[in-house]
Amino acid sequence: MTAVEARDLRRTFRTRTGVLRRTATEVEAVRGVSFDIQRGELFGLLGPNGAGKTTTIKMLITLLLPTSGTARVLGHDVVADVREVRRRIGYVFGGDRGLYERLSALDNLRYFSELYGVPPREQKARIGELLEMVGLTGRERERVEGFSRGMRQRLHIARGLLHDPEVLFLDEPSIGIDPVGARELRATIASLIDVGKTVLLTTHYMFEADELCDRIAVIRAGEIVAEGTPGDLKRLVTVGSVVEIETYGVGEAAVADLGAITGVQSVAVEERGQMQVLILHCARDAEVTQAALSRLDGVRVGRVGTREPTLEDAYVELVSRT
Amino acid sequence: MTTLRILLVGGLMSYRAMFNWLSPWILIPSMIVSPICQILLFAYIGRSAGVGNDEFYVMGNALNYAAIPCLFAMSATIEGEREGRTLSVVLTTPAARIPLFLGRALPVIVNGWAVAMVGVVFGLLVLDVHIPGSSWPALLLVITVASASCTGLGLAMGAVALRVREGAVLGNVLFCLLLVFSGVSVAVDDLPGWMAAVSPWFPLTHAIEAAREVADGAALADVIGLVVREIGVGALYAAAGLLLLRWLEDQSRRHATLERV
Repeated sequence: MTAVEARDLRRTFRTRTGVLRRTATEVEAVRGVSFDIQRGELFGLLGPNGAGKTTTIKMLITLLLPTSGTARVLGHDVVADVREVRRRIGYVFGGDRGLYERLSALDNLRYFSELYGVPPREQKARIGELLEMVGLTGRERERVEGFSRGMRQRLHIARGLLHDPEVLFLDEPSIGIDPVGARELRATIASLIDVGKTVLLTTHYMFEADELCDRIAVIRAGEIVAEGTPGDLKRLVTVGSVVEIETYGVGEAAVADLGAITGVQSVAVEERGQMQVLILHCARDAEVTQAALSRLDGVRVGRVGTREPTLEDAYVELVSRT
Repeated sequence: MTTLRILLVGGLMSYRAMFNWLSPWILIPSMIVSPICQILLFAYIGRSAGVGNDEFYVMGNALNYAAIPCLFAMSATIEGEREGRTLSVVLTTPAARIPLFLGRALPVIVNGWAVAMVGVVFGLLVLDVHIPGSSWPALLLVITVASASCTGLGLAMGAVALRVREGAVLGNVLFCLLLVFSGVSVAVDDLPGWMAAVSPWFPLTHAIEAAREVADGAALADVIGLVVREIGVGALYAAAGLLLLRWLEDQSRRHATLERV
């Protein structure tokens, strides 16, 4: 059964500048986005900054009206049945803000329990369960202003789950969190699916999407350019394999020279301290390693390796296509 | 039950969320020293100019200063949440908006009442103010009505903070308008005709007049007309505020105005 359904969603922003001579500018942030999310599914929405991910989420959670198109959450229209949608969804976004800094974690959860209409007799037990789930038991009486970003993010998730919503919208929840905190957060998100929640997740981290998502839609410039399982998306790319060569002091001319090798589709240079890692995206069945090394004559070369394309390679190719 | 809890418990929590930074070092100057200074200033201007008496200035300025928490707390509760990005989360909850925002007004009314009482008690202790014992119940009621009415204006101002970012500046402007038009230090009868015609539409005008009469020994029945008109003015602003909140929330969904902080 479909939990979230978006059909040709569009959102245009109009801004005006100037005092005497007003100039209007229109930006099409979302241009005809359609997708379905099934109940119990973890659906990822990936895209670069400004691609329209957050705008799409804001239309689905009733904070923004679509310019055109329709969207339904658990069968309720996000424009006509606003209150019904709000009863059934939780919304969590990333970053430092969005919590009452001067209240304790417990009071933040108590306040939102009231707003979500959690019965008073159930509040204590529900808040206790959620604090346990997000690993904040014992810290609940501390003011949020003293919390780390990871702790805030986990508190955001607890808040989003107070009323036991069926659908959860997570907008870049792991942004800016250290690796340990991010790993704990991923475990928390994965556990949501275990208890039957439907999740729409936006993230910039490909390994996160690869690890968590059942299906992914890649959005670019307000349009969905690909949709499928992480495996489907990896198969969409034309790259057959990726060759990585560690070098020290490679010049631009040599990099350009590598791009001219038959079978090399693109060359990227990743700086890692004193080292430059050359990343060669190669066509299927192309054998380019020997040719590449011969063109790096005179350059100090470290490890050389070949790997399968990752979701990140697929993502980069999908959002870079013109 | 949920509505009542949002009104009472939710309102109190929201008030704490926005204002529990008020440590004594901030609270004392802003809510005790400042109204006393204003009362002293106008009482001594009155004495040196030979117009009015201490009671006139104490009642006017004590009630006027109730406007500080009533106006600023109500706008801060919306403007501050907008900047802190808690407002967008609050607005995605299914909570009914009338108890949600009216609940925030209840602690503010108490705050405004307390600030006005600081001024009145100061006048009793330090200046030449004498209030008959029998007048106190009526006076406490009038001050409560004044604070509630002013909070109605604060609610309307808070609604505007959904759209504009300059709530604090607007609060300063409104405070000055109340100082001039509500008969705080110059009786409404002494104002030019056009100003006197406008003043009944401001909160505090009727309450200040009622408070002065009660302090002079009038019974509640003698000033009930003024009290009812004060309630009416406050209710008018509160209703306008709630309508504005509804309209501006709708506009924020249409024009993404909540994002512009």
